[in-house]
Amino acid sequence: MLSIMKNITKYIHKVVLIVAVILSTHSCVDYLEEDVSGILSIENLQGQGDVTAALAPIYREMQQAYTHPHWGGVPTWGGDDRTTWWAGNKSPLRVFDRFDYGSGENSDILWLDRGWNSYWEIIYRANSLIEGLKTSTATDEVVKTADGEARFLRALAYFHLVRTNGNMPVILDGYTPTGDETRATVLENYQHIEQDLRIAEDNLPGPSAVVNVGRVSSGAAKALLADFYLTWAGWPVNDASKTQLAAAKAKEVIDMNYYELLPISELWKLENQNSRESVFSIQFSEQEDMRNGWPAGTNFHEARGWSDMYPELQFFNDFPEGPRKDFTFYTEIPQRGVRQGQIFVREPATVPWQESQRMHPMYRKFSISENTTVGNRTSGYRAFEVIRYAEVLLIYAEAQARIGENATSIEALNQVRRRAAGLPFNTPDPSVDVSTATVDEIIDEKGWELAGEYKRWYDLIRSEKLEEIAAKRDPAENVDLVRQPTKDQYITPIPFQAISTSRLLQNPEGFRIQ
Amino acid sequence: MRQSFLLKPTFILYILLLSTFLVAQQNISGKVTDTDGTPLIGVSILEVGTSKGTVTDIDGQYQLEVSPGASLAFSYTGYQPQTVAVNSQSEINISMVIGEFLDEVVVVGYGTLRKSDLTGSLASVSSGDFELQPLTRIDQALQGRAAGVEVTQTSGAPGAGFKIRIRGANSISGNNSPLYVVDGLVVGDINSININDIQSMEVLKDASATAIYGSRGANGVVLITTKSGAKGPAKIEFETFYGVSKVVQELDFMTPAEFAAGVNSAEGTELFSAQEISALQANGGEDWEDRFFRNAGFGNAQLSVSGGSDILDYYVSGNYHTAEGTIIDQDYTRYALRANMNATLSSKLKIGMNTYFSRDENTGARANLANGLTWDPTTPAFNEEGNYNFTPLKPGVGNGTPNPLLQPDNNVVDNIDHQVIANGYFNYKILDNLEINVSGGVEQLNIARNSYTSLLVNNTGTAVVLNRDVNRYQNTNRLTYTWDKNPNHRIQIDAIHEQQLVTRVETEATASGFFGDNTTYKDLALGTVQRTDNSSNSESLQSFLGRANYSLFNKFLFTAAVRADGSSKFQEGNRWGVFPSGSVAWRLSEESFIRDIDIIDNLKLRVSYGVTGSQAIGPFATRSIPVVTPGVNYPFDGAGATIGVAPSSQLANPDLTWETTTQTNFGFDLGLWNSRVSLSLDVYKKNTTDLLLERILPSFVGPGSVVENVGEVENKGFDINLGLILLDKNDWHISSNLSFSRNVNEVISLVEDNEPLELGNIYYGNTFPVNPTRVEVGQPISAFRGYVFEGVYQLGQEDEAARYGRNPGDARYQDVNGDGVISSDDILTVGDGNADFTWGWNWTTKWKNLDLNFILLGSQGNDIYNFMRMRMMGLGAAQFHAVHADYTNRWTESNPSNIPAGRDGTEFLSSQFIEDGSYVTLKNITLGYTFNIVNKIGLNALRLYINAENLFILTDYTGYDPESTASGNSDVDLGIDFNAYPINRSVSFGLRVTF
Repeated sequence: MLSIMKNITKYIHKVVLIVAVILSTHSCVDYLEEDVSGILSIENLQGQGDVTAALAPIYREMQQAYTHPHWGGVPTWGGDDRTTWWAGNKSPLRVFDRFDYGSGENSDILWLDRGWNSYWEIIYRANSLIEGLKTSTATDEVVKTADGEARFLRALAYFHLVRTNGNMPVILDGYTPTGDETRATVLENYQHIEQDLRIAEDNLPGPSAVVNVGRVSSGAAKALLADFYLTWAGWPVNDASKTQLAAAKAKEVIDMNYYELLPISELWKLENQNSRESVFSIQFSEQEDMRNGWPAGTNFHEARGWSDMYPELQFFNDFPEGPRKDFTFYTEIPQRGVRQGQIFVREPATVPWQESQRMHPMYRKFSISENTTVGNRTSGYRAFEVIRYAEVLLIYAEAQARIGENATSIEALNQVRRRAAGLPFNTPDPSVDVSTATVDEIIDEKGWELAGEYKRWYDLIRSEKLEEIAAKRDPAENVDLVRQPTKDQYITPIPFQAISTSRLLQNPEGFRIQ
Repeated sequence: MRQSFLLKPTFILYILLLSTFLVAQQNISGKVTDTDGTPLIGVSILEVGTSKGTVTDIDGQYQLEVSPGASLAFSYTGYQPQTVAVNSQSEINISMVIGEFLDEVVVVGYGTLRKSDLTGSLASVSSGDFELQPLTRIDQALQGRAAGVEVTQTSGAPGAGFKIRIRGANSISGNNSPLYVVDGLVVGDINSININDIQSMEVLKDASATAIYGSRGANGVVLITTKSGAKGPAKIEFETFYGVSKVVQELDFMTPAEFAAGVNSAEGTELFSAQEISALQANGGEDWEDRFFRNAGFGNAQLSVSGGSDILDYYVSGNYHTAEGTIIDQDYTRYALRANMNATLSSKLKIGMNTYFSRDENTGARANLANGLTWDPTTPAFNEEGNYNFTPLKPGVGNGTPNPLLQPDNNVVDNIDHQVIANGYFNYKILDNLEINVSGGVEQLNIARNSYTSLLVNNTGTAVVLNRDVNRYQNTNRLTYTWDKNPNHRIQIDAIHEQQLVTRVETEATASGFFGDNTTYKDLALGTVQRTDNSSNSESLQSFLGRANYSLFNKFLFTAAVRADGSSKFQEGNRWGVFPSGSVAWRLSEESFIRDIDIIDNLKLRVSYGVTGSQAIGPFATRSIPVVTPGVNYPFDGAGATIGVAPSSQLANPDLTWETTTQTNFGFDLGLWNSRVSLSLDVYKKNTTDLLLERILPSFVGPGSVVENVGEVENKGFDINLGLILLDKNDWHISSNLSFSRNVNEVISLVEDNEPLELGNIYYGNTFPVNPTRVEVGQPISAFRGYVFEGVYQLGQEDEAARYGRNPGDARYQDVNGDGVISSDDILTVGDGNADFTWGWNWTTKWKNLDLNFILLGSQGNDIYNFMRMRMMGLGAAQFHAVHADYTNRWTESNPSNIPAGRDGTEFLSSQFIEDGSYVTLKNITLGYTFNIVNKIGLNALRLYINAENLFILTDYTGYDPESTASGNSDVDLGIDFNAYPINRSVSFGLRVTF
């Protein structure tokens, strides 16, 4: 008996010994260290190359927000410069077109989060870059410019968010968000947007000195500041003292004497992208086959588009006749089909808009540069105009009109009107020039000039004209309104994902102005 | 620990031995027979604890002198051993029970065990259970045959995958697939393994069985043992079968004329004139379902040779399997080769090597059913000249994609996988009862994904060539100590060291801008735009394991195991995890009070408890990695793009560590009437804590997600396995096996405030702004979310409708919180994809040479979110108009139905699209006849058979089939049907010859 126990003990000793021998031949810890040599480190931005590589994704995400009319712009379908197909898959756009929101409903519709997500991604990437630049070993010049660009793009993203969805959590460089953040006030958001744009205008090179045509210049920063101050002066903060600042910033852009207006027949051509009228534009690329989705988004299906966005009838009817109207809209709708994978023109080549599928005129400005050879839908590669000089002129005209119009501000308005009429913008012409204009007239002019360019909706709400414009809606519109809009419809619901994963309060409960 | 563990039984043994010396001897005699009373010759009888023994004579008689109080151990090959206490008896007659049910040796982790010695919960499926059915995939063999194991065929595509869940899903973000071990080697993919080479599959279910796999054992383990040769002359077997398959059921579509009328109604205009509609009525339009589905042929051929001598045994096989897809235009071919060899070099040394090679070819671009079935039915696929109608004849009708035949007809897809599994071992007996086993193995998986998108489809031509190499290396060193001299005290101890390394290397090259389709993906240099991308990573695991099995009096069985794992996926400090387990079994049938009950021949109670882990996250999961993809590049001047580097989309979490699962299992095994009835029941509870949870962060945070160790998930339920031999006499044999599984999955806790988590949506990208499923405390992992559909506002309900900005005809939803607004606050859990229970019932009947074998499968209580129907009703971002037959019954003023006609205000996430997915199916039925023609033409046997799969499915589900869904291997999106590849009904004919 005892010998059995002894044997067992002996064997166990042997087992332990052998196991120990096997184990000692391996060095285990080395195996368990992860090989991270294939992972890029972005903690330190070394030279200009690193900095540019970190900037590219910020611009790219801004491009995403502007690639299709319905990506960044779903909440702007309430404007009268756009309506949509009353059937098919456009119900998310119709939610805004027919004002079917305002008490927290329809936060969970398709496409609504596209712009929201892009803008927050821009803020995240810009925050990372601004933080990284603080310890960068690149030259001061490189650091200063990149910091300015990142701040401009961050401010633009916040500006879009705040005027669309209301007050936002404040998440800036040097702060790591946890997801527990709550909403600040509109005013607090305005303050950091202003600070970013102020730094950007100081640090950025002038429009003639940018490294690439698509980069932000100090002109762009000033122009955005002007737009921003005009918004600050209007709804919801209504701080009239900002009007003066808006006028001053717009004037500074004008006084750069760099920008000019192109003839209306030239403006929308592919070869005239990034012209002297472009203050800031989003780039696409034929070389990289990065396509601009606006031709497809604005063409009807029978023209090989998606029928996402076309003008409301009242807006079209009010739009003054002339070359600008001709280059803004198609009244003859192209008829196209696909054969062997290629778009071809059907017989008849066009039909009058009244007889078209959507029974509306169609935007033309985005399609002048279209390319019908790279897919079975119409497409394009032209840069998208985020800020055009014409807008700066009209901001100046409006801001001055609010605080006292002057000859320069009337001239600014007249330059836009002359160009609209197909005349040289710099040569006074009594046939179109006015000597005075009301704020409303200038806002109307801005609506026509910038029709479809994501501007009209924001002009309508900051000037609190939405109710008035909606009341004028042509009863022949096929999309029926759920209600006449009130202030409840000024602010877009925050997309469901952000509400359901965070402490953010949905509109209207969470909306705080100051 | 080990010392004290041994001390106790040794002490008992000592007392027992001592007692035998103190008492006088006594004579005992008796007769040993089988259960029918036939005497058994040569049964060995041993006085337990001594070397005294004898054997029965030709009449089954024996005589032996024993010490009073002794026990006799009766053993006979092929029969269950029995131990009987002598007490005061002088005659002991024994009836021996055939031992096939109990004395089977089953494979357990790192070794084998007699089934009677098992303490854990294990389901075993051997080739005998399925060899009468012509199978091509592993899931076919497991499905319905192993209780507690839910096997789902996730797609009807030939060669496509399956999903196996053992006792439910533990992890929310992590992988819930079991660990697959082929002949001792952990492999990543068993999809291509040739089912015909498999000898047995053991599914380890409870922690006592799986804890030996430590950090990878939490999801259960499937041990696959391939065939080896038996001693004797070469046995040559050839089997082949051919068949044809077709989808089981079809969907309900409107006719082209009905569709046209529906479009007119949705548009409020006469897009289709009355004349056009009547023309469509007469003839015209297209039956898209007809275009996509086809009768698909398949075939299989297998040749194997096996045999062996005293020194060497071998099994060599080759397999060829080919199948067309029932959806155009996919085809599948597999070539497989296996060579298994073992050599006994001396009484001490044994070596062996198993090698497997397979080549899988998946060719052809699959038709997209979601786009295709919802395409305009008024436009024929081809025009009068026989060319494609690229777009609907009326622009903007149906949906926006081009002719759905373009892609399958013109695109090229060649996906070729090569798999090599090779492992060898040497086993050396250091001492009589101590052996060392060293094994090493490698699994090499080479995946090639080649595709070309035709110019006709996208105008530019796009070629993608992707190569991925996944290599797994494993080395296992095992010492086994066995002490079984005394049947009252049998001990086996294993000590194991194991190390594993997995490397992954991927290279992708794409080109676009081709001037012609001729070279497809085969000459990327012809593309004008080219891009390459590559990545690599690796993971490693170091493990130390120990296990002890102890059998006391053959009545009490104890197993204790512990495994320590270190994984490279976690950072220092969190790297090592220790996973212990223990189990006890009591063989009640060895107790006299049970043994006296004639009908019971086996009764065993089992209890186990243990901890297992999961490291089911990818490498680099603890780190944040900058994003470098073409998606972050930007063309600053509108021309060439500058390479961008974006900050990580994942927040780093260096503190990540193991997910742990604690499982308790109670079970019993009962054998009645000579095991003509055998019943196993297991009740279990599994709690998984420190879940490796990929938490989706609110969009304003920046990084989209972070992996955290939070929350708890519970699975509890029971598995029953009931085997019956109803008839086994003369020419008849009828037996059946029923397996029944119930599992209840529940999320116990989540992040600190138990806020529900938005997860899943893996398969649908941005199709849904609200995830169709979410993870919520108190619900199963995958609970369906949606508005509660209450029909349509009818005429007369104008006021109620107006309160929500609605009109009669608009969809009506429950205002759950009564705030007067239908908003996302009114979204509820409206169902879930988990079954209440699943079952499988396998029948084997034989009469003379005729055999009939069939298996019925069922699933009860699982919901399906039918997004295919949602889209067919004209909803969703990609669809313009309805094609579903239900739409003909849409609400109008004159047809006050509850089917909303419009889209505004109609939610696609709503209970309107939840359906009951319960089903019963005759999964497989085979009728065969075996000819014994030994002397005539040199054949041993010839079997001819006819087989049908999915002959019928009984279900209320209106989609193609309730089993295959789009969720694939995911558990967070369970039960979502969208663009799924339906499973098929097939009929085949085959023969097997044995030489």
